[in-house]
Amino acid sequence: MNYLPLQIIVSLFVILVVFRQLKKYRDNTLKISEFVSWLLLWAFVLVAFWLPQSTSYLADIFGIGRGVDLAVYSSVLVIFYLIFRVYLKLDRQQKEITKIIRHLALNEKENNQEK
Amino acid sequence: MIIYIIIPCYNEANHLAKVIESAKPYGQVLVVDDGSNDNSAEVAITSGAIVLKHFINRGQGAALETGDRFAYNNGAEAVVHFDADGQHLAMEIPSLLEPILTCEVDVVFGSRFLKDKISQIPWFKKWLILKPAVIFQNYLLKVKLTDAHNGFRALSKNALSKIFITQDGMAHPSEIIEAVKKANLKYKEVPVTILYNEFGQGFRGGFKILKDLFFSKINK
Repeated sequence: MNYLPLQIIVSLFVILVVFRQLKKYRDNTLKISEFVSWLLLWAFVLVAFWLPQSTSYLADIFGIGRGVDLAVYSSVLVIFYLIFRVYLKLDRQQKEITKIIRHLALNEKENNQEK
Repeated sequence: MIIYIIIPCYNEANHLAKVIESAKPYGQVLVVDDGSNDNSAEVAITSGAIVLKHFINRGQGAALETGDRFAYNNGAEAVVHFDADGQHLAMEIPSLLEPILTCEVDVVFGSRFLKDKISQIPWFKKWLILKPAVIFQNYLLKVKLTDAHNGFRALSKNALSKIFITQDGMAHPSEIIEAVKKANLKYKEVPVTILYNEFGQGFRGGFKILKDLFFSKINK
């Protein structure tokens, strides 16, 4: 089966994403550890698409039947982990918002009392 | 002696005036309007309460913490947390404050189970939600309390300086108990009456509380 069109599309997508992350890293909005983790993840995606047989080799090590299954399982794990991270970040941001709202409420009252 | 009765409120304009009037004789009423869409804030001002305004709704725990900080910064000797929906009886405020004013303890929790007959708790809520919650709470927090998630409580100035509510939603009662234990504050329970106008929090509310507590542990 010819996977070339798909391989090209995925590669272009990965290049685009890596460029964006490189820019974020240069702008200091991405930590080095996060940048490297993302690079490894995308490198894994490229290897999986250009050398599909390598995933079968890895799958064998983990005792999973097919390389494709390994890719799906690991993708699901990564997605769950990312959702978890997003949830924690959202939770932290909610707390920050509360702090701002509280600060405004207390300040407003203090200013009114001074008048 | 400055005592603040802190009433967090969200769209409670219908009950608020009556609740404020009933609480007024026992201290300075402080209403924290938690982003209400109705005229709760105006009602509170007209009724003679001090009003703090959250521009957007942040939850009961967040409103209580705002009230606590205002009270502490303004020299409160003690505060009472009081519901805006008329579930609590203002005439029971003195019995909550007494152990604090006599320096017996720093925190007083109201308990509906020390006065069962009067509270008339719905059977389902009592045995399937509240009692298991009490057992769970006592086991996890290593306390011996007879009630869980009862919003009627009083805190001394010392307690206010050590307890900071970070749970914006409905998980704050557990957080307060945990903070009391951590800070080694003395506490006791006194019987209170809870009037059931509505069912209150059901299973879904309970699960949300557990979820909030869980994530607060791993998201510090």
